[in-house]
Amino acid sequence: MTSATLPLPADRMLAPEPYTIGGVTPRMAARPADRAELCELLRATARDGGTIVPWGGGTSLRAAAPPGRYDLAIDLRGLDRVIEYEPEDLTLTAECGVTIAALRGRLAARGQELPLECAQAAGATFGGVLAANASGPRRLRFGAPVDRILGARFALADGTLAHTGGKVVKNVAGYGIHRLLCGAGGALGMFVDASLKLLPAPAARAARIYELTRAQLVDRALWAPFPRLEPAVFTVVGAATASGTGSAAAGASLPGATGRRPFWAVLGFEDDAPRVAELCGITAAALGEPVAELRDAEAEGLWQRLADLADSAPMRLTFTSAHNTPAALVTLPDAGAGTQAGGFVFHAACGRLHEFPAAALGPDAIAARAAAGFALIEARGAVATPAIPSVSGVRELRRRIRTALDPGSRMALGAAWEGR
Amino acid sequence: MPIDRAGLDELRALLGDDGVLASHAARFTYEADALVLDRHLPDVVVLPRSTDEVAAVVTWAHGRGIPVTPRGAGTGLAGGATAEFGGIVLSVNRMDRLLRLDAERQFAWVQPGLVNLALSQQIAPHGLYYAPDPASQQVSTIGGNVATNAGGPHCLKYGVTLNHVLGITVVLHDGTVLALGGEALDAPDFDLASAVIGSEGTLAVVTEICVRLLPKPQAVKTMLFDFVTVEAACRSVSAVIAAGIVPAAMEIMDQHTVGLVESWLHLGLPLDAGAVLLIEVDGAAVTLPPQVGRITELAIAHGSRSTRIAKDDAERAAIWRGRKSAFGAYGRSASGFYIMDGVVPRTRLAEALATVYRLAAERGLEAGNVFHAGDGNLHPHVLFDAGDPAAQARALDVAHEILRMCIRFGGTISGEHGVGIEKRPMMTELFAPEDLATMERFRDAFNPDRLLNPGKILPAGGGCGEGAAAAKAANGPPLRGGIPAQLGGMPVGSGDVEGPWI
Repeated sequence: MTSATLPLPADRMLAPEPYTIGGVTPRMAARPADRAELCELLRATARDGGTIVPWGGGTSLRAAAPPGRYDLAIDLRGLDRVIEYEPEDLTLTAECGVTIAALRGRLAARGQELPLECAQAAGATFGGVLAANASGPRRLRFGAPVDRILGARFALADGTLAHTGGKVVKNVAGYGIHRLLCGAGGALGMFVDASLKLLPAPAARAARIYELTRAQLVDRALWAPFPRLEPAVFTVVGAATASGTGSAAAGASLPGATGRRPFWAVLGFEDDAPRVAELCGITAAALGEPVAELRDAEAEGLWQRLADLADSAPMRLTFTSAHNTPAALVTLPDAGAGTQAGGFVFHAACGRLHEFPAAALGPDAIAARAAAGFALIEARGAVATPAIPSVSGVRELRRRIRTALDPGSRMALGAAWEGR
Repeated sequence: MPIDRAGLDELRALLGDDGVLASHAARFTYEADALVLDRHLPDVVVLPRSTDEVAAVVTWAHGRGIPVTPRGAGTGLAGGATAEFGGIVLSVNRMDRLLRLDAERQFAWVQPGLVNLALSQQIAPHGLYYAPDPASQQVSTIGGNVATNAGGPHCLKYGVTLNHVLGITVVLHDGTVLALGGEALDAPDFDLASAVIGSEGTLAVVTEICVRLLPKPQAVKTMLFDFVTVEAACRSVSAVIAAGIVPAAMEIMDQHTVGLVESWLHLGLPLDAGAVLLIEVDGAAVTLPPQVGRITELAIAHGSRSTRIAKDDAERAAIWRGRKSAFGAYGRSASGFYIMDGVVPRTRLAEALATVYRLAAERGLEAGNVFHAGDGNLHPHVLFDAGDPAAQARALDVAHEILRMCIRFGGTISGEHGVGIEKRPMMTELFAPEDLATMERFRDAFNPDRLLNPGKILPAGGGCGEGAAAAKAANGPPLRGGIPAQLGGMPVGSGDVEGPWI
């Protein structure tokens, strides 16, 4: 396969180096201008037997595991139109290459909110966030992309353009392949455009920030009432990460982070103003006055900084759990000691833990976390990453799905999806 | 392939004598779901009690090439639980237990035959509830809800079944048992679970479900507004959403429906109103009075003539009773009627309703509407004389045209009952050939021999389901053309308030 055999105008071809994944640089990179060009490109690549990786903002892929063979990066940022935004329907249909920041701006002007979160929102694309099934501190309130997507048009490696779901909020006609693609990370096909269910922006937001001792962190009785209050954000950060001094060097410290206690925590509320005031009062009664408090736009800015922390260290292990308070961290082997030295972020509202270990964790450490209810779902970084346990029957099912959608194994990340 | 006596004995050995129903009388009960016009007698009905027993039955059937059709309570309106090609109906009715509740972490493992409302009742002492509330929730099962990704009046705010399932245990076509997802949000392999949810039993049999539970809202306020025109009611719905309020439910009954309900139940509904709009808000007590005030302002600004706010639970129940009795009211007024389940974008509701009335009037028929306005989910009813075949044909024609309108307006042909048998022919109007071909490739990855709920969702043709079509030709009545979900001629006594649920 050479650029001469590809059907696109020469100015669609790009230097391949920026599309390097885990040290593997593709032979070529192309940026189709619309979906017709995309499909032509896919068909030509399939004829030549090339393997491809769909590329959005690259915010997840740059840190992904290297693909075995990687001929062509398809940069989808040329497909960046908002196709339909009808505020009174609370729905949006947009092409995959539009950035999250651009969509947020568009919706904010109409008092609505994009229920998607990710690190590096300025560069991350709509399709990329869907494909990663990315989430952030407000995972519980927003749901994940798989909860929000209503339908999508997607391209398969052979150039097939297919559509499943729709743009209305209730729909049980046909198979939810668009949902399967959320989280497939571009391993089975690529989003071309998608429809999403939106939310109105809340009237008020507040962030109540505390620094915690270890005794407070693991005090089950202290935290027990909070899940029933359904806080929008309930996140605990190791002091080293919060103050920007750990291996997860976020640069500047988080608001209120003095490092005098080992844990930094925020309870965030988003609702009508009287309810936010009520929740702040309940929080103060349980935890005392906060070390810092942010409101509205500043609170919203903090949520993005918390989402960005996920990308703040080269090595990251992501765990999911059914735990819903910080007390769960006591079950971690190094809670209060090694863990915060390396740094971590725990979104307690949704049970998601990002650990940033200074050195690779061995199988025993992973098993200990699993025993504590923290299942490893993603591992990345320069240091050798532990394998995510998989079930043989699930592998076989994944193999059949992958074969059905990409019979020629042209999607370069497909093998990793199958094996996970 | 019919199941012979030896086969029945093998099934009894797997499930016990009381787990296998083979008499004609027993099987007769399972020959259709709420789509009663399309009936197919299964060869046998099995009633497993556990995942292992389901796996044993599916393995047995797989080895013999016998179709397996999973079934919950059979309340679906699209024929999804009907054994179109005979074989085994696998009823989950005996798998009806709440297996484990974790009230602190707000999830529960349940068997698929547990009735939706029974789950919420069992967990109520813990201050929790299960949010998806299809109108059938008194009888429909969680397993059936998973199969159709069921919604309900409150899914406007709380979402559909998918949003409340954390994990499922499934039995694949060959009897393999897999756990997909788990107890955590984002548990491993939930991506596969998300595709199984809403697949109408064609990808796998779901045998255990981990559901997410929510704290019961502190307070609820139910309001009823009346409007001179249904268009004004629809515009109010859009105005509420545009104002940044997402009520728990927004339901509209048109004048035709109000008249029938009121003449029967005497609930004090305004007979001269073009439409009544029911809006319910829930949440923290402190948030509700301002929301009620704002909604009332908007409704008045859009022409509401009166506002009724339920003072207590009894009045709230009375308001909802009117909404939920619509089906019974139709049944009292005409010998036959078709119910459709279509969706249009919320902003096109008024236009869609005008089209429904016009399409019916052009054919000399009456149409009524009662619908989930907040979701744009229409349930038009077309009434006809069941003794008049010509009227029935005209009603069918109207039903077709209404679903085509839904597609044309950017909506879909099923909001909550699925495609099943009845809407299968409409799939070619909703989707392009390459969409359907891709879905078929995907379905075959799970269900390569097409024995799990065969023939459902995807229309035959283009190499799809030829074996099944041949079996159909040999065994069953010919496929009727694209008939929308219907209940034509179903006898409804004057005492039936509940009924096929919409």
